[in-house]
Order: sequence, then C-alpha cells, then structure tokens
Amino acid sequence: MDIIVKTAGDDFASRMAQMFETVIHEGHGSLVLVFLIGVIFGGIIQYTRVDKFEKIAGFAMLKDTIVPKMLFLTVGLASIGLYFMVEAGYAHYHIKPIMWSGLIIGGTLFGIAMAIFGKCPGTGPVSIAEGRIDVLVGAIGGLFGGLVFTLYYSDFFKPLMGDSAGKLTLPSFFPGHEHLVVLIFGIVVTIIAFVIPKREFFDEADLEKLPPEERPDLKEVH
Amino acid sequence: MSRLPWWVGGILMAGLLLMTFSVFGADRPLGASTYVPYFAGLVFDLDPKKYIYLEHIKNPGAWEGVMLLGALFGGFVTSVFITKSFRFSLIPTGWKKYKNNSVLSRLLWSFVAGFIMIIGARMAGGCTSGHFMSGMSQMAISSMIFGTVVMIALVITGRFFYNVKDK
Repeated sequence: MDIIVKTAGDDFASRMAQMFETVIHEGHGSLVLVFLIGVIFGGIIQYTRVDKFEKIAGFAMLKDTIVPKMLFLTVGLASIGLYFMVEAGYAHYHIKPIMWSGLIIGGTLFGIAMAIFGKCPGTGPVSIAEGRIDVLVGAIGGLFGGLVFTLYYSDFFKPLMGDSAGKLTLPSFFPGHEHLVVLIFGIVVTIIAFVIPKREFFDEADLEKLPPEERPDLKEVH
Repeated sequence: MSRLPWWVGGILMAGLLLMTFSVFGADRPLGASTYVPYFAGLVFDLDPKKYIYLEHIKNPGAWEGVMLLGALFGGFVTSVFITKSFRFSLIPTGWKKYKNNSVLSRLLWSFVAGFIMIIGARMAGGCTSGHFMSGMSQMAISSMIFGTVVMIALVITGRFFYNVKDK
C-alpha cells in the first residue's frame, strides 16, 4: 500500500513535507538512516558535553582543550579509515573547493562568532535540546544570517567569496606516495590529539547536580 | 557516568563519520550548517525558484534538515535520561564568570554571534562538521585553511572578548 502525501503547496507544512520527500529521493541514505545519523550525532555531542559554552568558549579562552582533542582524534582516525574505504570502493571523497577569500573571511567571522556564542552549527541544536534559551536566541540570529546570505548571495556574497582554486587534497601533492601521506597525516593528527595538554573548565551548575563520586572535577587528574 | 571521555567521543564520532561517508550509509559527508539557510527559506517563505542559493542547497539542505531533527531528538533524550543535564537556562556559568551577569547582554551577543556565524559558515562553505571533521578527514586543503583561520580567530577573540586575566 502506498501512502500518498500531497506536498505540492508552498506553505510551511508542505515545504517541511517536501524536505522529507527530497531526502527520500535523494539517494543519500533512507529517511530513517539520516534521522538516525542525527540522533547519534546529537547523542555523542551531548554525552561528551562538547556542546557546552564552557567547552567551546572555554577553548577560545584556552581554559579547556576537550574540543580540540576530540576533533583531532576524530580527524586522525577517520582520515585513515576513509582513505582505505575510498580505495576499496566503499566511499567517495566530496572535497570542498579552495575559495581563498570565502575561506578566510568566512573562517574569521566563524571563529569570532564561535568564541562569543560558545556554540557552532552542529553543537547549537544539541544545546537547545537540553534547554539553553540563549542558544535558541542565537539560532534565531542564525536564521536571519541564513536569510541575508540567501537574499544577497548573487549580488554580494558570491563575488566576495571569489573563484575556486581547485579541490586539492594533501596526498595529491605527493603523487606515488599517497598511502604513506595518509598514514603519516592520520598518525600525526591522532598524536596531536593526545599531546594537546588536557585542561578542563567545568560548569558548576552541572557539577552541583552530580553525587560527589561522579564529579569529574574531584577525580584525580591523569 | 555522567559523560563520556573525549577519546571515546572521538572514536565514536570517527565511526559515525565513516558510516555517513560509506556507500552503505549516506555516501556523503557529515555537515551541519547548510540546514540553516534551508530553514530560513522555509520560515521566511522564500521562493526557491527565485533565489539561486536555495536552488543550490535544495538537496544538502533537506538532508541536513532531517539530520538536525535527529540531533535535536538525540540531544534531548541523552540530556534527560543519560547525562541528566536538561534544564532551562538563559546564561551560561562561564559567561557569568568571564563576561558579565546580564541576561540581556548574553541574549544580544548570542543573536549577533549566531547571525555572523551562519554568514561565515556559508561563505566558507562549511562549519566545524562539514569542514573541520568531514573536510580534514578527506585531507582537503580548503578545510585545513578554514580550520587554521577559525582556530586563530577563535583564540584571539577569546583572549580579548572575555576578562580572562581577572580570575
């Protein structure tokens, strides 16, 4: 039996339905899988507490290093795994182009905003889901940012971002030695994750809710 | 256990990335900033045929939109049942300690920072997920440039925006 949903309208509900429809026909995983990827993504971020202001703005103040340690470890492990998956035909690369002014202006704005907001577009929704009203206000600001970007994309932002200087990757600079480059990159980045000194900035409001034996700040520092 | 150690998080996140990239999974990178202009198009009722950017992001925006709904659900369930950290709050403890006690100040800065953040992410073509995690895992030069610029801007802003020296 086929369920037919009318999604031809341009009101908000129809367009939400069109969003699901797009994902179903897009061929990048079933609707359930895409939702599940989100659930796991949100779960990992929440369970490791890297969505907290104290972790992200704390890193900007160099009082907490959990976020870079986790990011570098993820990249180190995934880069090696992904390379061999691509070699075996189980995955594809999707490289973003080098657009110098887009990357530099965009990266600068992003870094400034990340330090002040203490969130990024991936961790923000998780913070909203755990009840942070200030992050919800920031997300509304983000929606307006998305609106302005969409409205002035052709006239202002696209020319400002510049032309693509190609989709280069690190191994492409060392033809014939790709395997070695990938292994060295992956291992070095993983080592960086462990070498970055561990500093933690805890949120008292969270710690108070825990019994003393579970408080990470009272545990011995390893 | 109220939270996972960073290295467990890193291993799990690498696993999730590989699953997303794999042809058995979604056969695409994991990203989390394209959904914002996508939802802006929905909320402000912009005609996708009129705005070329909405046409560009029709597919990735929808994909990330569904993923975001999953992230909201996953974050909510984890915060309520596992870490038990769900609570409503208007101002982070760290903001009170290193910035000020004003709720209005925090909300205004959040709004402004959220606005700038999305403009920045869309100009660079990605965020912490799309560029830093997914891009650097592919050893993309563009993502390494982005990662370096963000880290520098982040640490400089952190140094000057907050009263780090006082305490």
